[in-house]
Amino acid sequence: MTAATLADDVYAAAARRARRTEKLMPFALMSPALVIAIVFFGIPTLLMLRMSFNEHVPQRLYVPGFTFSHYAQLLSEERFVTAIWTTVKLSLLASCATVLIGYGFAMLVWLKPARWRLAFIGLALTPLLISEISIIFGWWMFFPKNGLLSYALLSVGLISDKISLMYTEFAAFVGLVYITLPFCFFILLSIFDAIDKRLIEASGDLGARPFTTFYEILLPLTRTGILVAFAQSFIWAMGTYATPSALGPDTLWTIGYLIQEQMMGKSNWPLASAFSMILVVLVAVVILFVRSLNTERTRFHA
Amino acid sequence: MPALELERIRRTYGGVVAVEDVSITVSRGEFLTLLGPSGSGKTTTLRLIGGFERPDAGAISINGERVDHLPPYARDTATIFQSGALFPHMTVAENVAYGLRMRGVAPAEMAARIKRALDIVRLTGFEDRYPAQLSGGQKQRVALARSLAVRPAILLFDEPLSALDLSLRLQLRGEIKRLHDELGFTAIYVTHDQGEAMAMSSRVAVMNKGKIAQIDTPTRLFHEPASEFVFTFIGESCCLPVKANGAKICDVAGTAIDLRLTRKLKAGDWRLYVRPSRLKIGKQAEKCDNRITAEIAFTEFLGDFWRHHLKAGALELFCDYTGPENFKPGQKAPVGWNNADMSVFQ
Repeated sequence: MTAATLADDVYAAAARRARRTEKLMPFALMSPALVIAIVFFGIPTLLMLRMSFNEHVPQRLYVPGFTFSHYAQLLSEERFVTAIWTTVKLSLLASCATVLIGYGFAMLVWLKPARWRLAFIGLALTPLLISEISIIFGWWMFFPKNGLLSYALLSVGLISDKISLMYTEFAAFVGLVYITLPFCFFILLSIFDAIDKRLIEASGDLGARPFTTFYEILLPLTRTGILVAFAQSFIWAMGTYATPSALGPDTLWTIGYLIQEQMMGKSNWPLASAFSMILVVLVAVVILFVRSLNTERTRFHA
Repeated sequence: MPALELERIRRTYGGVVAVEDVSITVSRGEFLTLLGPSGSGKTTTLRLIGGFERPDAGAISINGERVDHLPPYARDTATIFQSGALFPHMTVAENVAYGLRMRGVAPAEMAARIKRALDIVRLTGFEDRYPAQLSGGQKQRVALARSLAVRPAILLFDEPLSALDLSLRLQLRGEIKRLHDELGFTAIYVTHDQGEAMAMSSRVAVMNKGKIAQIDTPTRLFHEPASEFVFTFIGESCCLPVKANGAKICDVAGTAIDLRLTRKLKAGDWRLYVRPSRLKIGKQAEKCDNRITAEIAFTEFLGDFWRHHLKAGALELFCDYTGPENFKPGQKAPVGWNNADMSVFQ
């Protein structure tokens, strides 16, 4: 072996090493987050997936086995199918409302002078400082016949007799919107903050009326934010269990409520796990769909 | 009929006066620069013309029509912003097309006007790029093309070059000047860079504390400043604060100084100004009208000349010197200037 070929070999080996490092680097940099995601989310989900195929015997939580019967039961029994449909419908409605309200609020905060900003942000943060249970107690004083809402409507003359909105789908809807709104607001505000306000002036300057400016400039530039905020709200709304069952009617069976019922009440862990898997899949489908709406153009927004 | 007329406009922000009693008449094809330090009201004046702010009092007319009640979209002006303010989700061509679409220009004409506008700013071939794919200078050219394409009555420039580096700034300022000469648009240009103002403008309005200090051609501004502010703001100058007491000249502390002035000053406090390029030193100073002996504190070599920083008692001055003598820090030398090169303000 001559010196020249030796040098070539050394060089080639070094190049191979460099290429390998380059390939591994992204994973190395991601690893802390990846480890957390795998340990705390990946493994439990896999365990749950396994559990959903176990057999259920009355009086026992589960018996190891492999059966599709729980999935078949969930997708054939009307009670469960209705619950899936109710949850999706309620979550979609609540997410749409949340995004609309959050968008308006975020735009307002963005457009207003900076001195108002802190007050608005504080206002948006407060719901996050209160536990879901306390918020539910708050709604219990707000919605019933002798609640705040009833009195308020009565005193401004919008209704002639006291009304109760407690234990209605509307109450469950309002409760869900309230829970998801802060997250939605902060996502949208961060998107708005990345936009140069001069763009609005430039648009007006070039002859666009305010609505045209909104439609042509603001809406396309916040499109990604709207989709992310929607997906986020939807996930929260799908998974929130206490609020809809505490505020909605007794007949309002959401996936969350039924999982709880199967898990705690009927000790049917495999069925509860199968139901949870359906929840995971539904959320994943919506997220993938929302992501597919994001166009290539948004790449250039930054 | 003037292209633009501002009559005694005034704008305050919660008690703070931003623009006060500003009247300007700009004829068609004129290039007027609003020049002033930050907070002088130049940008506010521009924003009032563009319609982004409303005046508290006064009238704004474009081509003889009152516009001060109109929103920006109803005014025939187009602004080139400091940041460019290009729409990031639109290509270069779409950016330029935006104003044309808003004005309902027919597609065939629109295509021709986009092509022409990009041609003018030398960006043909960049139609399909996004703003994020352009350099700072290219972005400002697109902004210029976007504004030119709508053929506004007045182009408003809001410090369009101040975010760019020096060589690009010089290059683009030359191009804007060339375009103005070729196309003959009416322009209001806001800047705090007097080099830009002097190089491009047909007239410059120097603003200070919300008011117009002087509005004149660049040459007259430089040679016949109306006030001490204009004199000190335009170009560099050394300031000599002195007390005159009969024939005796003292510094502000009252110590007599060896300053021989041929011009007689009335008793009182005066500030004498001389441009550093007109200050003579060494042998050249001997024939000057006014003379003082100064010590060289330190010297900066600035390429074309040396800048000698001088001290004469409490007075400090600096002098741009091209040679041939060689002065060293600590050395004493005669310094002089002619009456024609001196401005005095009381």
